[in-house]
Amino acid sequence: MIEILSNTSHLHLLLNHVPTTAFFVGLVLFLVALVNGNETLKKTSLAIFVLVAAVTIATYTSGSAAEARLRGTGVRSELPPNVVSAAIHEHEDAALWATALMELTGFFAWLALWQWKSVTKLPAWSLPLVLVLSLAAFAAMSRTAYLGGHISHVEVRPEVVARHQACLAIVDEETKHPGAVANAPENCPWQSAVDEVARAQGAGQKAGEGATRDLGMFVTGRTWVWPALETMHFVGLCMLFTTVLIVNLRLLGMIKVVPYSAVHQLLPFGMIGFGINLITGMLFFVGVPSQYNANAVFYWKIVFVLLGGLNVTYFMLVDDVWTARAGVDAPAGSKIAAASAIVIWVAVLYCGHMLPFIGNAF
Amino acid sequence: MALLQQIESSGLSQWVRQSGSLWAFPGILLMHTYGMAIMVGIIAGIDLKILGLVPGLPLAPLQKFFPLVWVAFWLNAITGTVLLAADATTKLTNPDFGVKMAFIVLAVINQRMIQTRVFGDPEIDRRPFPSSAKLLAVMSLVCWLGAITSGRLLAYVGNASGL
Repeated sequence: MIEILSNTSHLHLLLNHVPTTAFFVGLVLFLVALVNGNETLKKTSLAIFVLVAAVTIATYTSGSAAEARLRGTGVRSELPPNVVSAAIHEHEDAALWATALMELTGFFAWLALWQWKSVTKLPAWSLPLVLVLSLAAFAAMSRTAYLGGHISHVEVRPEVVARHQACLAIVDEETKHPGAVANAPENCPWQSAVDEVARAQGAGQKAGEGATRDLGMFVTGRTWVWPALETMHFVGLCMLFTTVLIVNLRLLGMIKVVPYSAVHQLLPFGMIGFGINLITGMLFFVGVPSQYNANAVFYWKIVFVLLGGLNVTYFMLVDDVWTARAGVDAPAGSKIAAASAIVIWVAVLYCGHMLPFIGNAF
Repeated sequence: MALLQQIESSGLSQWVRQSGSLWAFPGILLMHTYGMAIMVGIIAGIDLKILGLVPGLPLAPLQKFFPLVWVAFWLNAITGTVLLAADATTKLTNPDFGVKMAFIVLAVINQRMIQTRVFGDPEIDRRPFPSSAKLLAVMSLVCWLGAITSGRLLAYVGNASGL
């Protein structure tokens, strides 16, 4: 267990089932709920979308770490023989788009859950938008999974299979009619098909290594981009703390005259702050992945972000927090969740700040 | 400049810069970041309320957060001074530092005015906020945005030591 959790390559193979399989379950439930109008089922599927979007952050980042392990970090490091470098880049580029769509789905699914509690009727665009985004996210994520399978499973890579079968056909022909084919090979190892594909792709490849690397070069290649992103990351964290502090300190009894329904209105502001930090944070990650891939503090930061996702989903689903009317104490469960929220986000900030000091980064 | 060098070579400054302890530069900067998150976070919530983005929330009870805001401010004044002493020759000769201080002074004056004028209004929460209150709220957001931006850029523009 510890082995799986501390090995980011294992972790990626474990987590990659969540944005595909778990999301598919959520999507089916959502479609059923839309057809028969079941409210509980709608909320359940929206909550699944939010949680899957949170796990997708860990899936993406662990994938980058898995790539780093595969390539190695030494001067003479190289990929295992059955892996074609271009297959990793294709998977990585697909993953970037799929992750972006998944996070958008998660945001609007969360917004729909939030609106459910705060407005009398959901806006007409709310669930149709989630439907369109979730279908797009599912398509993009399925493609990502398909391309991910190509990285180490040579038997599913079409161009490798085609070369392998062509080779087998020649050997068959030569066996039946000796001398029919000039320079016929004696046998067909998979590896030679893999090498041929690698050579063909290597020849056709330009200096760039895909959209993700191009984006990374944009982040690190211009002097103003990194400082601008850092500044936005700070603004986003202040917005997040506006909500975390005011909402949770209310639940803990600090401004008890204010009903929970009033501070609930602040939640989207904090979620937008989180969104700004997710986007800017992912850009840092894509810019210099080596700073984060093997960084223990980054690992813990992602763990706390996942806990934060669970925490905010809890508040979207429980009803008893709404009993905290003006002057009324919040129920014990909500107080525990509120205290946890403050601890979680203080820990996220701690991990983020300590990335260069404790972790092996920068 | 001689004075700045003297400040920078003091025992405290050297410890902050060179000790390698997590309690030194990393820990003090961490406190500075927490202070910012608490102070700017809560003030931004108050500004949003005044600007009408949180209609259901009454403003008056939010004054209970003022002690927390000012504790965070003094935390940052102290940690900021220590960080400045550790890097005096670079930061105090960087015009961007002056810009940051100007934004902070304006933001603090602005915050005092919000506390006395907007919160001191006996009719608070019983009528729409006057446009003067909304102007103070916008000024507050602009000043803190300016302070954060110029603060972050201290590591990049002018004389930057990388601290």
